[in-house]
Amino acid sequence: MRTSIFSLAYLATLSAAARFTLHIPQTALVNPSTLPSTTHATLQSSGPPQTAFLTRSNSFIFTNVSAGSYLATVHCREFAFEPLRIDVAVEEAVEGSGEKREVVKAWQTFVGNEWDNKGEARGEGGNGVVVEVKPVGAKYYYQERSGFSPLSFLKNPMILMALFSMVLIFGMPYLMDNMDPETKAEFEEMQKKSPLAGQANPATQLQNFDLASWMAGKTDSGASSRGQSPAPQGKKRG
Amino acid sequence: MRFHAAALVLAACLTPPALAIFEDDAYHIDFHHALIGLPKHDATFFQKPYAGSKASLLYTISESQAIGAVNPKDGALVWRQAPSAPQNGTGLLRAGEDQDTAISAFGDHVAAWSASDGRIVWETRVDGATVEDLEILEQEDGITNTDSKDALVLLGNGEVKRLDGRTGRAKWTHHDTSGDTPFQLSTSPTTLFYISLHTQLLGGTKLKVTSLSPITGKKLDSYTLSSESEVSAREHILFAGANTAAPLLAWTDKANKVLKVNIIGTKGVSTFNAPGKAGVEKIVLHAPNRLNSLAHFLVEYQTATGHLAEVYHVDLKKSTVSKAYSLPEIAGRGTFTTTSSDANVYFTRITSDETSVVSSKSHGILGRWPVKASAALAGAHPVHGESEVVVKSGSASAVRSAVLYSNGQWVLIRNGEIAWSRPEFLSSAVSAVWAELPDQEALAHELEAEGHQNVLAAYFHRVKRHIRDLEHLPAWLQTIPSRVLGSLIGKSEDSAIDEIHHDTFGFHKLVIVATAAGQLAALDVGSQGKLIWNIDLSQFAPDTTFTSPSLKALRGYVEIKDPGFDGSLYINSTSGGMLSSETIQVQPRVPPGDEKLIAFSLVAGELKGYLGSDATSEPVWDFTPPNGEKIVSYTARPVDDPVSSIGKVLGDRRVLYKYLNPNLVLVTTIVETAKTASIYLLDSASGSLLHSVTHTDVDIARPIPATISENWFSYSLTVDATSGPSSRGYQLVVAELYESPLPDDRGPLGKQFNSSTLQPSKASGDVAKPYVLSQTYHIPEEISHMTVTQTKQGITSRELLVTLPNSNSIVGIPRAVIDPRRPIGRDPNAQEQSEGLMKYTPMILFDPKWHLNHKYDVAGVKDVITSASGVESTSLIFAYGFDVFGTRVAPSFAFDVLGKGFNKIQMLLTVAALFVGVLFVAPLVGRKQINSLWTIPS
Repeated sequence: MRTSIFSLAYLATLSAAARFTLHIPQTALVNPSTLPSTTHATLQSSGPPQTAFLTRSNSFIFTNVSAGSYLATVHCREFAFEPLRIDVAVEEAVEGSGEKREVVKAWQTFVGNEWDNKGEARGEGGNGVVVEVKPVGAKYYYQERSGFSPLSFLKNPMILMALFSMVLIFGMPYLMDNMDPETKAEFEEMQKKSPLAGQANPATQLQNFDLASWMAGKTDSGASSRGQSPAPQGKKRG
Repeated sequence: MRFHAAALVLAACLTPPALAIFEDDAYHIDFHHALIGLPKHDATFFQKPYAGSKASLLYTISESQAIGAVNPKDGALVWRQAPSAPQNGTGLLRAGEDQDTAISAFGDHVAAWSASDGRIVWETRVDGATVEDLEILEQEDGITNTDSKDALVLLGNGEVKRLDGRTGRAKWTHHDTSGDTPFQLSTSPTTLFYISLHTQLLGGTKLKVTSLSPITGKKLDSYTLSSESEVSAREHILFAGANTAAPLLAWTDKANKVLKVNIIGTKGVSTFNAPGKAGVEKIVLHAPNRLNSLAHFLVEYQTATGHLAEVYHVDLKKSTVSKAYSLPEIAGRGTFTTTSSDANVYFTRITSDETSVVSSKSHGILGRWPVKASAALAGAHPVHGESEVVVKSGSASAVRSAVLYSNGQWVLIRNGEIAWSRPEFLSSAVSAVWAELPDQEALAHELEAEGHQNVLAAYFHRVKRHIRDLEHLPAWLQTIPSRVLGSLIGKSEDSAIDEIHHDTFGFHKLVIVATAAGQLAALDVGSQGKLIWNIDLSQFAPDTTFTSPSLKALRGYVEIKDPGFDGSLYINSTSGGMLSSETIQVQPRVPPGDEKLIAFSLVAGELKGYLGSDATSEPVWDFTPPNGEKIVSYTARPVDDPVSSIGKVLGDRRVLYKYLNPNLVLVTTIVETAKTASIYLLDSASGSLLHSVTHTDVDIARPIPATISENWFSYSLTVDATSGPSSRGYQLVVAELYESPLPDDRGPLGKQFNSSTLQPSKASGDVAKPYVLSQTYHIPEEISHMTVTQTKQGITSRELLVTLPNSNSIVGIPRAVIDPRRPIGRDPNAQEQSEGLMKYTPMILFDPKWHLNHKYDVAGVKDVITSASGVESTSLIFAYGFDVFGTRVAPSFAFDVLGKGFNKIQMLLTVAALFVGVLFVAPLVGRKQINSLWTIPS
């Protein structure tokens, strides 16, 4: 491996070095014309990386790239881009012709993976090949402050339960009052039959409802201390 | 692809709740000075970013080779580009009239930038040569090409190239083989002049002017000016006027007594004597650089006491230069700027206290504005500037000048008022330290006094101090209403900026910054980086040229050392005043009792430890890296590194004891041939080696930053590609030190009451070496510097702060993410989950939420320093090197400070509502209680 790369480097000095372009296409995610001018691409192999700035045509132009295998990264403040593996080699254009020219190949590559673990091919060609480099996502730098909002307050299951039982407690008497006498009698009959039903009617429940202890959240302890109070039972039933 | 996606999702899931900056805190708790560097005179100009634009931008290339466009309205940076590596040669920046590009050249690199947004239009390299001069070909055969103007470059090897304005390709190349030193290019509407210096054998230099055809690059003519009696060095050539109707060549002699002017293209030389009885120290020639402007120019003479100027007119027909009028001498320093509007030329004279505008035609003052005094410019004088003048019906109605002051502030003076100032001198900061504010210092002194007295005296001292403090009470009581109101309405932040003394949280800490040129400045990190004071150190050490001052903070003052002088300077950290070494008691750190300090330093490639602070005695230990390794850096554990817990509690409530040694030193070595890097962990008291690790396939040309804190250290490497490694990119290694691999075990020293690192043999027969756990991660970017956050007690979990030079960011990696105890190859079990450990992944992708600089572009950071604030949760951070950036972080959330999300009004309303509720419910409850007592349960 070592010798092969050395030989490639040797060949590269003989011939002109490769030139290729990384281009940011217009995608649904990003209009590349709006990217800040600090966006730049680096090509790293050994020693200081080669840097290319963003051009007006939304691309990065690398010139004088000698043969080797490079890690290309696009650095942008607003979007994350996929890293690329770019191999520059000097190969014979036609087998046995002796005429050599640069070949640039590009693949996806992944951080934390072997270098040989290449992803999708992103382009291949001779000098001046254009390789597309795609953004993978926008960068969000800020944390949402979990401020108070009435909606999130209402989404709390405890609050929902409390509201539901409130509705039952306050709503049931009216519901009973609005029933026609026959159904009411039937309903009362049913309640008497039911083993679960308490003996108290909703009106007394309401009268005995302990708002203060309910607000203090003492549903259980309040029930045990005042066993005679049917209010907590009524709530549970609801 | 699938694996990649899976990995991304995995990383996203495993990342703990990110500690990002709140959107409403951003730009309030942090500050950023986006700097360009000291602007160069000949490469600073107002220019419209595109033809037909209403407003112009201020373009410059700085001495730091950064190109930037600044909005003249508010001084905000519009765009900035800097070369990735420093180039040799001077930076040049030119822009053609009505063009939408600005063309720059530094080193061998010529590039055209989009003037409105800083994107690159074209770039080209001149192989093996440096660009000496760059000009824009404004007119060709007297016709202005409005479409795209070509650039002319002069190279160090004598080549002149015409580059196409659209593509940057060379249209023609003229090669000068005479061997003369290329100097400058100049254009006239029809001809291109190439000026070179022909050095005589007998000393002295002749100026050679070669005229070229702009169309073909062919040589038309050449002549030599006999300037050998005056010009012996480049500095004697004052001006080689570019792009004017009458391009000028002006030079002077060594004593600045005579001014010689040649109109390029003619052979005649006009000679003028410098005015004034006192010797002229410097002559500067200011001429308009527009083709259609009048051929008038101004010569500025700087004397030891003041400055004056003379205005000359060029008669094109007769090819003569004549003096028109002179501007009187004004004491003190000042500068002149040239503005051309249509054909008219205006000169603006800027002194420390006045701006005045004159026309080039007559000496009548068209407008005069006194410059308001400003703290930022105190004691400084204008060095050079650039102006825009609006002249209506014979009088200047408005003038704005971008002026560089001698203290490194770049200021825009609009009609005498300072519109903005940019502290460009900070771009060359080389050293910075945290200093305490005066109040804290005073209290610390008082407390120290009390500590040294006997109990009774100390008690009286204390009572007296409290009585004295009572005098602040009325003022404090008066501020209460406004402070309460301010905190309710939420404007407290603004008032706090001015009142740095009411700093209950300790966020207002001073940072003292020293620049390479010997400027010292104090910034308040808590108040948006406000400049408290700014002094030039050379006033205290007149004979010294500062190269790289280093700072050390002591109580109430900073000690400055520089290779340029022996000894130290002491500067008061709150006022910037000089302290003589008599008035302060320089207290070396004296170890208590019979303990002795061991100091260590790098001597001739070896790390040596000395007894006592003097390096003259015999070293008590030395560390020579094996196998021809070279020490590149070493990092010691911070002196002030509080640790709150000596162990790490595991999920099953057992304890893993940390290896806490205050004398840890991390040494980084490299072998260039084998491309390996080694890390050695030493005990600096005994010099013994505690741990070592060697990495192969390391790109040793890239930085290997390292840091050490508490019981863990971290470093980063770049994988070298030449040997075909199995993976590529950048690595981050984190290692933790424990006393023993077993929980609830304190290792070989566990039973010892006392132990010594110097005589380890006495301790149960073995050196207490730490148990080292380490994990390596791939990271997407190179790290140039790393450090760790600091808090007051060390209870808050730490964050690893890494500087990413490629994305111009500073990232705080939470400690939990880089815990080397992350389980590998399996999911964490319940106990590990309760510790907050995640499954090991081979890479760490820097979450954007970890970026402390969020949307700021913090370029060129060389060092990041951290300090504890007054509250435990928060650490202060300051980064410098090129840009200056400061912020504060709370790695375990701001648990001891109410954030902005806390709505005080809502809290008050809730309390009021509860109170009303109580009033309402109280009778109900009372009745119920009575009923329960009086009714018989049924």
